[in-house]
Amino acid sequence: MNPLLAQFLAEAADLLTQVDEGLLQLERTPGDPELVNEVFRAAHTFKGSSGLFDFPELTKLTHAAEDLLDAVRAGELPLDSGMTDDLLATFDLIRGWLAYVTTEERLPSTAGADAASLIVRLRAPIGGEVVREAPTLSGPQAGDVAPAWLAYFDEEWLAETAAWLRTTSSQMRFIRYAPDSGCFFRAEDPLHLIRQVPALDRLNVIEPVEWPEAADYDEYACLVAFVCATRAGMGEIQYLFRYVVDQFELVDLDGDAIQRYLSGEIEIEVEPESGTAEKQDQKPSSSTDPALLADARAVLAASLKALALNPTNTCHLISLAKAITYAAHAFGDPVEIQEPDVVTLTATVTRLLGDTAEAVEDPVRTVVPLVAADEAPAAERRADDPGGQVGSRILKVDQEKVDHLMELVGELNVAKNGLTFLAGAAEEEFGSRALARRIKDQYSGLHRIAEELQASVMDIRMLPLSVAFSRFPRLVRDLSRRLGKNIELVLEGEDTMADKDVIEALADPLVHLVRNSLDHGIETSDERLASGKPTTARITLTAVADGDAVIVEIADDGRGVDPARVRRKAYEKGLISEEELETLSDVDAVDLVFRPGFSTAEQISDLSGRGVGMDAVRASVEKLGGTVTMRSELGIGTSTRLRLPLSMAVTQVMVVSVAGQRFGIPVDLVVETVRVPVDEMNRVLHQDVVVLRGEVIPVLDLARALDMPWIPDDNRDRAILIANVGGQRVGLLVEQFHREVDVILKPMEGLLAYADEFSGTALLGDGLVLLVLNMKEVLGLAARVG
Amino acid sequence: MTETQPKVLVVDDAATVRMYHSTLLTEAGFEIHEAANGLEAVEAALGTAFDLFVVDVNMPKMNGYTCVETLRSETVGTPAPVIMISTEDRPGDADRAYAAGANLYLVKPVVPARLVRISRMLTGRGVAA
Repeated sequence: MNPLLAQFLAEAADLLTQVDEGLLQLERTPGDPELVNEVFRAAHTFKGSSGLFDFPELTKLTHAAEDLLDAVRAGELPLDSGMTDDLLATFDLIRGWLAYVTTEERLPSTAGADAASLIVRLRAPIGGEVVREAPTLSGPQAGDVAPAWLAYFDEEWLAETAAWLRTTSSQMRFIRYAPDSGCFFRAEDPLHLIRQVPALDRLNVIEPVEWPEAADYDEYACLVAFVCATRAGMGEIQYLFRYVVDQFELVDLDGDAIQRYLSGEIEIEVEPESGTAEKQDQKPSSSTDPALLADARAVLAASLKALALNPTNTCHLISLAKAITYAAHAFGDPVEIQEPDVVTLTATVTRLLGDTAEAVEDPVRTVVPLVAADEAPAAERRADDPGGQVGSRILKVDQEKVDHLMELVGELNVAKNGLTFLAGAAEEEFGSRALARRIKDQYSGLHRIAEELQASVMDIRMLPLSVAFSRFPRLVRDLSRRLGKNIELVLEGEDTMADKDVIEALADPLVHLVRNSLDHGIETSDERLASGKPTTARITLTAVADGDAVIVEIADDGRGVDPARVRRKAYEKGLISEEELETLSDVDAVDLVFRPGFSTAEQISDLSGRGVGMDAVRASVEKLGGTVTMRSELGIGTSTRLRLPLSMAVTQVMVVSVAGQRFGIPVDLVVETVRVPVDEMNRVLHQDVVVLRGEVIPVLDLARALDMPWIPDDNRDRAILIANVGGQRVGLLVEQFHREVDVILKPMEGLLAYADEFSGTALLGDGLVLLVLNMKEVLGLAARVG
Repeated sequence: MTETQPKVLVVDDAATVRMYHSTLLTEAGFEIHEAANGLEAVEAALGTAFDLFVVDVNMPKMNGYTCVETLRSETVGTPAPVIMISTEDRPGDADRAYAAGANLYLVKPVVPARLVRISRMLTGRGVAA
């Protein structure tokens, strides 16, 4: 993708977010001139940038939205919710288009049709269709004279294209590119350039009329030329060919122009032979260049206007004197201006314009000023000192780069840990305690730097929760309208920071929970009235930092969860026993909604009943190493609390070994480690169990589950690690416990990607690779092995 | 190249447009500085003597007209040429630009070759021998 388009897409994403947020805020504080202005400006900027590309539908649609916003801004009409809907729909459509552009580098073919109805709706409140077209890149206008080289295109194709362009009232850009024969020595690459032409429709290579004899053939000379037809925008093409402006021609033709050419109705432009195309680049004083002459005249005409409109500002007068002098140079008619006063300048310009009147059509109407000069001392030019930096100080970095940096930090940690082993070796193998101490000193210095490095890289990855929250105003607004409920969304603690992985992973569970609240939690307005609540319900999204964790809470003031109903439902679904139906506490009953296969909604609505329930929420939160709990009071409301680690980059694991191999187990899951004498182990129904403080806990043989040969030594106590997996306590029989370590977990990749029983690998300080167990899968394996 | 590169300040709030103008002028041999609105432009002009300003009209914080007025005022007092480039082409827009102190008012998007040509002319490059 060309960098300009990439820049546009990045900028567009920011602007679209601004527009969305602004519009939603405007609904809460209608008519806020500051907000209207902000939204307008974002739309305006967007339109301006889009004009550089050939996205006519995009520019047209944005233009309509901008005009509507302009009218609102001018106070001509208030923004009602219908308009807001249309505007939001417009920018949604645009967002979709841009996603398409990102991969295809063009708008979807349906863009015109999709935009049409929206444009009508946007324009309706401001008096229907307006003809004020957005300016497209000027230059040859559509319907221009078709150049003779159009003959290089297949006539049949031209006829087809003409017909198609007419029906869609669009245009096609035709390029002729005749590379200079010596282009090789100027490091130009015609083939590469042609390949880069976007949206290429037709390409023909024009060979020389006669190829030179083999003996005379110069393999470094470019003898071919190209003609091509493309749907790309004038701006893009000009940008692409900016180095070879003198070697290429560009015309913008509509269907009619091509048709006229085909029927021979119009005169064909005669042009000089291509090979001898004159170079008109940096050569100074090219007073014969008509384009330069036209520009010089434009400058002079503008100067005349400026003299009339602002005749007193000294700086301005000096600048005009300069501009006039330079323009005069371009005419090959150098003037010297001693005193930049308005009378002298006006006289000079008038003379210059008069002298060259026939040369070019006057682009600006001239106005002769009748204002007296106001003499003032010329302002001194400021001394040249190093300028201050301008522009944003925020650096946008590719996510992959940060990820890579994080990986390197991880490896640095591992390499650093290697030093402790080295120190051990120095002492034990070489008997040098002094050397060992020096290595340890080095280690502690390195350790401090590595820790700081890790902290700052993790800090780069931190994003505010507002990234995850930003979609909810819109979501709540749209859904509450569809449900006919009045809901106010309150966001709190959006500035709380968390690792980007956590924020990203939080998105889906949050959406689910908010939808759930909207759909099931909040009553209809009538129900609320009947129970004496305000008709407008409230959903609060709160984020707070809590040590190494971040807590996100979704609270509503809806009907709450009825524990009795949950118990009954769970019993009917066979999730709890008859005994539990009687004895389960209300708090535990509410927790049942997280059980797989549970859904309280009698009817599956199209909002939240998408086949994923609260069990999916709990599963994904637990996968992040977090917990989710729900508190609810019948008739008062429900709040769901997610507790997540601030960062997923570093995982604490407990190292255990079995059959001589070491494995890691996430520390969050570890409840305790116990050593049990062999004769205290029991067996119930083919299942080894251990009784701990009166609780019977099943014990699984990790070696067997992983299919590793190992027979426990009957003379030693059994080492059992008690883990909490999915709310259940399980004992894991291992050979030996080791220490806890902080590791950076890498996912299983390549050939090992299928190995679900491991959640990832980590490098240990001594260079060994640690496999970290995925406990849920391991339990499944153990159950199958029996 | 022995002559020093002319310094140009490109002022536009749209990053894409800024990049577009900057790339064109950089390749044409100018030293480019950028500003995202009028206020930044004025700040930059206070610290550096530019040879040319390319200024957008509709910008947040300080629009192009005010920006150019300030550049010409005693606060900054720059006599360097100013090209204003706008998306709008309504009657009166050009007059406002000239009254503010601009030397040329162009409507976006500008043909690259033209922008380069005019920039060269207004900085005395490629014209004077």
